[in-house]
Amino acid sequence: MKTQSRRLCKLAMVSLLLGSMVIPVANAQKLKHEGEFIVDGMVFGLPKAKVFTEDYSGPPVVGEYLSALPHLQKLDYKGNKEHHVRMDVISQKVEIAPGVSYTAWTFGGSVPGPTLHVREGDRVVFTMKNRSDEAVVVTDPVKGGSPYFEQLQANPYQKNVPAITPMPHSMDFHSGTVAADDKWRSIAPGETIEFEWVANYPGVYMYHCGTASVLMHSAMGQYGAVVVSPKKGFSTDKKVDHEFVVVQSEFYLEKIGTEYVYDHTAAMARDASHVAFNGHVSALSKTPLRANAGDRVRLYVLNVGPSGTSSFHVIGAIFDRVWYEASPENEWRGMQTVLLGASNAAVIEFIVPEEGLYKLVDHEFADAERGAAGALIAGPRVKR
Amino acid sequence: MKKLASLAVLLCAASAWSEPVVIDGGAFQSPLVLDDEVVSLPVASFKLDAVQVSNRDFQKFVEKNPQWQRGNVPGIFSDHNYLRHWQSPLQAGEDINDLPVTRVSWYAARAYCESQGGRLPSKDEWEYVSQQIRQLDGISDKEYARHVFSWYSNPNSENLKAVGSGTASANGIHDLHGLVSEWVEDFQLLMTNGDDADLLTSSCGDTARFMANYDTASYATFFRYQSRSNYQPHTTTSTLGFRCAWSL
Ligand SMILES: [Cu+2]
Repeated sequence: MKTQSRRLCKLAMVSLLLGSMVIPVANAQKLKHEGEFIVDGMVFGLPKAKVFTEDYSGPPVVGEYLSALPHLQKLDYKGNKEHHVRMDVISQKVEIAPGVSYTAWTFGGSVPGPTLHVREGDRVVFTMKNRSDEAVVVTDPVKGGSPYFEQLQANPYQKNVPAITPMPHSMDFHSGTVAADDKWRSIAPGETIEFEWVANYPGVYMYHCGTASVLMHSAMGQYGAVVVSPKKGFSTDKKVDHEFVVVQSEFYLEKIGTEYVYDHTAAMARDASHVAFNGHVSALSKTPLRANAGDRVRLYVLNVGPSGTSSFHVIGAIFDRVWYEASPENEWRGMQTVLLGASNAAVIEFIVPEEGLYKLVDHEFADAERGAAGALIAGPRVKR
Repeated sequence: MKKLASLAVLLCAASAWSEPVVIDGGAFQSPLVLDDEVVSLPVASFKLDAVQVSNRDFQKFVEKNPQWQRGNVPGIFSDHNYLRHWQSPLQAGEDINDLPVTRVSWYAARAYCESQGGRLPSKDEWEYVSQQIRQLDGISDKEYARHVFSWYSNPNSENLKAVGSGTASANGIHDLHGLVSEWVEDFQLLMTNGDDADLLTSSCGDTARFMANYDTASYATFFRYQSRSNYQPHTTTSTLGFRCAWSL
C-alpha cells in the first residue's frame, strides 16, 4: 500500500515536471516575433503592419485554404500551421440578380470574397494590394492562384467583368485580435499592406473593408468569411456528410440610366433592394446544395449585413445542433431558426429527413422576398 | 467661311478656358464639423481654373521641368504609376491630349500650379465653389447626390472625356463633379476635437459627429472628404487630376 502510493507520487512528480517542461516549449513555438506574449494559451502583441509598394501583378488571391462559396477547403494537416494568404482589392462588375449588375468593390473579385479556412491557433500572414486602379481578370485560369479561381470559373453566376474604381481600402478580420488602427488601416491605390494575426478563437468570422464610409464600402461588396475550426473539433465531426458555407448580405442599388449604383438613402433606411445568399439571389438555386436522405449536413452560416438581421431557417428540417458563433461551447439543440445579427454566425447541422427539396430562407420573409432563399436537393437514402 | 466660323468658336471656347474664373468670396458653412467652435468660415475671393489641367498642359510643364518627367521623379514624390498611361516620358499621346491629366501625385500637381504662379485650391475653396454651383445652377440635393454617388460607383476612367466637355456652371466652372476627382492643397483631413486630433478619424462610425447635416447629399460630400484623406501625397490614380487657383 505504501509502495503503491509512493509510486503514484513519483508518477505525479514526473508528469508535473514533464508538464512544466512541455508548456514553455509549446509556447516558444507559438511565439514568432519579439513582443508577442501568451495569455490563456493565446498569442497577442503581434508586430506592426507594413505598408509598401510592390510590383505585383500575379494572382489576386493566393493561399491553399481559400475557396469560393459555398465550398470550404478541407484542413489536411494536423496541429497548427502558418498560412500565407493574399487577397488583393480589385473592382469587378458582378451580377447579383438576373439583369442586375453593378461595379462592386471586392476582395479577390467576387462578392462575397473567398472563404478562408484555418484551425484555432493557426497564424495568418496576410498580404493585400490595393489594385482598384487596375483591371484584373478573375475568370481565366491562374497559375499560382488559390483553388478559389477554379471554383469561380466552374460556376460563374456573377459573370465577373474587370472594372476600375480607384479608392482607398482596408481589411478588418473579425477573426484577428489586434489593434485596428495599425492592422486595419486604409491604404491608397497602388499600396500594399502586410500584417499577421493568430486565430485565437474558433468561429465563423466576417472580414470586411473598414474604410469610411464603412457602410458604403461593405454595401459595395467588400466582405467574406473566415472559418476557424476548433482545435478539438465539434462532437459530430466524424458523422458529417456535407459541409457548405452560406453568407447572407444586403445590396442597396438603384438604377440610374443603364447602370445600377449604390443608393445611400436606401442603405441608411435599411431598405435593401436585394438580399442574397452567397452574393446572388439565384446562387443557391442555379447551383443548389446537394445531399441524400439521412445525411448530416453542416452549414457554416454568416450574416454580414451590413445592417440587417437574418432568421435563418431550412424549410422541412430541424437543426439537430447549432453552435452559435461556431464555438463548441455554445451548443444549442433542436432549433427551428437561428437569429443572426449583422456579423453573427453559427455552425448549423441537420439530418436530411427524406428525398426532396429543402428551401433555405431568411424567415424574416421581407428579406426572403428580396432574394434570401436557396435550395438543398436531397436524393434517395444511400446506405453507408 | 463655315470652317472659319467653327474655328473661331473653337478658339473662343479655348480662350474662355485659358483665363481662370474669379470666384467671389463669402461666408462658407463647411459641410464638415471640423471644430465645434467654428460654424462659418470666411473665404476670400480667388481665381480658379475653369477646367482641369489637361495632358497637353502638363506635357508643356514636363518639357520645361525635366525633373517632373516620368522616370525622373524620385519615389518619395510619386508612386511608380506616375503618368504610366503616357506614350513616352515627353508625350502624352494624340488621343489623350485634351483629357484631364491623371496619374499625377499631389507633389506634381503643386509643382505644376507653382510653375503657373498659382497654387492648388484649399479644400474649403474647392467645396465653396461646389456649393456655389449647386446654388447658382439650382441643382437639387437628390440630383447632386445621385450624380456624385454614380461617379464613385463607376468613374469610367477608361473612357474619360476632354476637359471642359461639360457645360459651364453659372460661375464659369466646368466639370467640378463627374469627370475626375481633384487634388486640393490640404487634402488630408485632420478631424479635431478642440485641440485634440479625433481618435476615431476615418474609421467606422465617424459620420454623426462630423456631418453638419445628415441627408444623402451631405453624405455624398462627406464621402469625398473621407476617401480623399486616405490618399498619400505620392498617390496617383486614373481618376485623380487637378486644377489650379490663384490668390487675389
Ligand atoms: Cu473599401
